[in-house]
Amino acid sequence: MPPSAPEALERDADVEIDAAAVRCVGAWTVGSIATLEGRLSRLAWPSDRELVIDASGVVAMDTAGAWLLRRTMQALEREGRTVRVEGLRSEHRALADLLATPAVAAAVAGQPATPGWLARLGRAAVQTVTQSLEMLSFVGEASLVALRSIARPARIRWRPILYNVRTAGFDALPISGLLCFLMGIVIAYQGATQLRRYGANIFVADLVGLAMLRELSPLLTAIIVAGRSGSAYAAQIGTMKVTEEVDALRTVGIAPIELLVLPKIAALAIALPLLTVYADVLGVAGGMVMAKTELDVGYEDFLDRLQYALRLSDFLVGIGKAPVFAAIIALVGCFQGFQVVGDAESVGHRTTVSVVQSIFLVIVADAAFSVVFNAIGI
Amino acid sequence: MLSASSAPVVASADTVIEVCDVRTRFGTAVVHDGVSLGVRRGEIFALAGASGCGKSTLLREIILLQRPESGSIRVFGKDVIGLSDEEALPLRRHWGVMFERGALFGALTVAENVGLPLREHTRLGDRFIDEIAAVKIALTGLPPSAGARHPAELSGGMRKRAALARAIALDPSLLFLDEPTAGLDPLSASGFDDLVRHLKDLLGLTILMITHDLDLLWRVADRVAFMVDGRIAGVGTMQELAGSELPLIREYFHGPRGRGAREQAWKRR
Repeated sequence: MPPSAPEALERDADVEIDAAAVRCVGAWTVGSIATLEGRLSRLAWPSDRELVIDASGVVAMDTAGAWLLRRTMQALEREGRTVRVEGLRSEHRALADLLATPAVAAAVAGQPATPGWLARLGRAAVQTVTQSLEMLSFVGEASLVALRSIARPARIRWRPILYNVRTAGFDALPISGLLCFLMGIVIAYQGATQLRRYGANIFVADLVGLAMLRELSPLLTAIIVAGRSGSAYAAQIGTMKVTEEVDALRTVGIAPIELLVLPKIAALAIALPLLTVYADVLGVAGGMVMAKTELDVGYEDFLDRLQYALRLSDFLVGIGKAPVFAAIIALVGCFQGFQVVGDAESVGHRTTVSVVQSIFLVIVADAAFSVVFNAIGI
Repeated sequence: MLSASSAPVVASADTVIEVCDVRTRFGTAVVHDGVSLGVRRGEIFALAGASGCGKSTLLREIILLQRPESGSIRVFGKDVIGLSDEEALPLRRHWGVMFERGALFGALTVAENVGLPLREHTRLGDRFIDEIAAVKIALTGLPPSAGARHPAELSGGMRKRAALARAIALDPSLLFLDEPTAGLDPLSASGFDDLVRHLKDLLGLTILMITHDLDLLWRVADRVAFMVDGRIAGVGTMQELAGSELPLIREYFHGPRGRGAREQAWKRR
C-alpha cells in the first residue's frame, strides 16, 4: 500500500454510541466508509434533542467521508434535533464546512429524477415521428441536389462515383457470388426431394431459375450490400460529423450532400444491378451443380429447359428492382450518418440502425414489387 | 536549484513520484534520452516544454499506459514498470487522471461518469454515490444541471471540469492533469487555475501537470521541469527557470507571450 494511504492501517469508519456520548472514530475515507454507510440508517441514536457528536477520533477524512458526516447531520436535523460536531481536526473541519455551503446543497438537491414510463413512451413516439419527417426532408433535399447536378453535368463528381462502384460493387463480388451459389444449391436440393417424387426432375431448372432471377438474387445482393456498404456510409459520414468535417465542407462552399451522398447513390445504382446479374449467374450455376448430382439432370438439359422456363421479363423484373434497393440503401445509410450527434457512441448506434432499417425497407419494397407485378401480370 | 538533466534524484519519503534515467524510443525516434525528476508530496509540479518534446509520453509512462525502454519510475515508492493490472490497482485507486480532451464516456451522463469509479471500487450505496458525484460536480464549479447531461452536450470548458470531477471521484492523493487549460478561453482558463489551486489546498493533493500555458505555470505551479528534446533542461520554480542562462529556456520564457504572462502573474499575486 502506498505510504500516502495511512488510512489503510487505520480501522474503518464507525460511530460509537453509548450513554455518555456519540463518537465518530476511524478513517472516514472513501475506501473505509462502505460498512458504516450501509448501517447508518439503522443506528440507535440517543433521543436527546440536542446532540453533540465527538469527532476527535476521526483520523482521516476525505470528501466522501465528510459528505457522509454532513448527510447524517442533515438527517438528524430533519427529525427536529440540533446537532453539533466537536473535536474535528482543522483540515477536516474545512472540508466539512465546504460541503455545508449552499452550492453543494443545491447540487445534491438538484439531481433530476429519472422520467417515468409514460414520459419515455411519449418521447419515443415523438422521436419516431420526427425521424420519419427528417428522413423525408433528407430524400427531398437529395433529390433537389441531384436535379441541380444533372442540369449541370460538369459538376458531377466521377471519381468518387467510380471509387464507390469499386468498393461497393467489385469488392463485393466474392461474397455475393458465393452466397448466391450456395442459395442455388439449397433451393435445388430442397426442390429435388419433392420433384423426384413426381418424376418431374427437369423442372428443377424452372424452380431455380425463377426463384433466383425474380426474387432471391436481387434480395440477397441488396442485403449483403446493405450490410457491407450501407453501414460503411453511415459510419463514414457519422465520423465526419463528429470531427466537424461536414461543417468544414459547408464552410468551403461544398454542399455535403453533393459530395458525400450523390456519388454513393449513383455508384450503388450502377453497381447493384450489375452485382445482381452476376448473382443470377452463380445462383443458377449452384442449382445446376445440385441438379446434376441429386437429380441426374445434365448441364445441357438444364440450360435447355431454362430457356423455355424463363421469359425476358423474369430477368428484367429482378434487375429492375436493384436500382430501387440501391437508392434505399444509400439514402438510409447516408441519412443515418447525418443523424449522428456528438460522440463515438452515436456513430455506432446510427450504423446499426442504418443496417436494420435499410434491410427492413428493402424487404418491404420487395413485397410491394411482388404485389404490383402480380397485379399487372408480369 | 537548477539540476542538470541526468542528476540522480534524491529519494526521500516525501517524494511521491520518482523518475530515474528513463529512455524511450519509437522506432528510431528517441523520445526520452535519460529523463530524471522527482515530485514531492503536496506540491504542484508542472512539466513544460514545446509540443512533441515527450511530455505526454512521460505522463503515460508514469500512469502505466506505456512502458519506457529502460530506467525506473516509482510512484508512492513502488516501482511501476512492469506491474500487472492486479498489482497496479491499489496505485490506480490513489491517483486520478484528467486527460487532455476529457476522455469522458460518451454513453454516460456526467454524473454517471463521475460515479463510475465509485461504483467500480467501493461498496457504497447507489444513492450515496449519486450524492458524492453531485458534490464533486459542485466542487469543480459546474452547475447542478450539468450532472444529467451527456458530455457531448457540454462546452469545452465544462467538459474539462467534468473530467476533473471524475479524476477526483475517489479522493485521490495524486492527480495528473494533461494540458488542463488547452483549448479554453482565457477567462475559463484562469478560472481553472484557481480551481486547481483551491482543490489542491482543500484535498491535500499532489499534482503533476503537463502544460505549455505560461499563465498556468506562473500562477499555479510550485516547481516546473522544462523538457527539451527528451531531456530535462532545467528544474526549479518559475523564478529560477526565468533566470536560467540556457538559450532554449530563455527563448521560451522571455518571448513576448512569456513576458506578458509573467507581468499578469505579478499583478495577481
